Amino acid sequence: MVNIEDLKAEAKRILKGGNVKYIIGYERPSNAWKANPVFARTPEDVDRLVWDPSCIHNLVRFVVDEKRRKAKEKPVDSRPIGVVVKGCDSRGIVVLIQEKFIERMDVFLIGVSCESTGVVDERKLAKKTVGTTVLKVKFGERMNYVVTTEDGILDIPAADIIADRCLECIASFPVVSDHLLGEKSKRDVPKPFQSVEKMESLPTKGKWDFWEDQLRKCVRCYACRSVCPMCYCDECVVDTINFAVTPETTAEEKAQRIKWLEKSPADSENIFYHLVRAIHLAGRCIDCGECERACPVNIPLRMLNKKMEKEAKELFGYDVGFDAEKPALMSCYLDGDPGDFIR
Amino acid sequence: MVEEFEPRIIAFLCKWCSSAGSDLAGVSRMEYPPNVTPIQVMCSGSVSPLYVFSAFHRGADGVLVSGCHPGDCHYIKGNYYARRKLALTKELLEHVGLEPERFQISWVSAAEGQKYTRIIKDFVNELKPLGPQAKLRRKPSW
Repeated sequence: MVNIEDLKAEAKRILKGGNVKYIIGYERPSNAWKANPVFARTPEDVDRLVWDPSCIHNLVRFVVDEKRRKAKEKPVDSRPIGVVVKGCDSRGIVVLIQEKFIERMDVFLIGVSCESTGVVDERKLAKKTVGTTVLKVKFGERMNYVVTTEDGILDIPAADIIADRCLECIASFPVVSDHLLGEKSKRDVPKPFQSVEKMESLPTKGKWDFWEDQLRKCVRCYACRSVCPMCYCDECVVDTINFAVTPETTAEEKAQRIKWLEKSPADSENIFYHLVRAIHLAGRCIDCGECERACPVNIPLRMLNKKMEKEAKELFGYDVGFDAEKPALMSCYLDGDPGDFIR
Repeated sequence: MVEEFEPRIIAFLCKWCSSAGSDLAGVSRMEYPPNVTPIQVMCSGSVSPLYVFSAFHRGADGVLVSGCHPGDCHYIKGNYYARRKLALTKELLEHVGLEPERFQISWVSAAEGQKYTRIIKDFVNELKPLGPQAKLRRKPSW
């Protein structure tokens, strides 16, 4: 079990020693059961840190933001930042290191184990606790969650309210960390791609009908892009506005500019955007499920990314986010890669 | 009389092999369907999946990416990268419900004019029963 006091002690130690700029962790707001991200800058802030199944967020996104901030900083404070990472988040860090977006010494990782379970799905929990208010969620001893509500304490098996992505998680512990809390306990996941396999069994038309229905809802708020720790490109294909238009830009130049897709949330533009996003995340998505959580219209975006993860695994034997020394999926090849689909 | 559906194919041909292969088919006066719009690229490895999506988005009924045989790439390993990238692209397109026949990849060397004509003929024959591709085509609904 992760002892929260150990986490606080370690966080205090590194903050006091001035080894890190600040620590990004989770805190409990006064009015809700769900944890919030928090930046602990002084040893006193550390007391606010928590670790429980409501710590849904992937804090690696803040590491990406930090790099942006650092570029503008004067004078540059090159100390690392401390991050509390779950299993999936730590794999995100590995991918960022693998792509040389950050260096290993840019971050100090406080790894926390998910206790062979995972984090809570807000909607599933809401269904289980209709008519009452949840105050607190805690990890139980044997793959269960202890939910404190206004009407008393509930003991719910983890499998009932765990987030979908955690059901398919093959490593519920950090793969890299400077300080590990909890055990590297592994849970048996007989079918790590069961949701995708269900989808694959549909006929072509069924698949299209499903995605057309889902992606029609998209309002193109780009929340999925903003929340994704892997979407760190400075220029995105969907933002034509990124190309500066100056008074000297001629009409001809503007006309010559490549515009891959329109900004309007029309069906065809939506699917184009999501296809591009999925292929960009192929072999990089660590399945933290943030895109799906952030989506205001509940598009099952994980199903696109998980499919790419599955193909990376099945076609090329590539596991995302386990080894920072290995080359990235798309920047390497093997002589024996499957080519039977090629004429 | 109802006019028969003529599919429109966008073919990304690598400069060193497939483009030369299609040239050979042309200068040898081999007959093949006129449904292809070839686009010469420097290497099949330079074909971004974005190009493929974009071609469908602008109304292509089928997309062909063609490069050198493995081991023959002018840039030594471009087609190996292409093989990985396009395998994933193909899987993704099938996953969202595009007919698998619409996106094809082939290796055509500069000497294989005959093979090139055969691939195009097969491709056109496969596309005809599917009808126009309307799924990814741009539909301005606003």
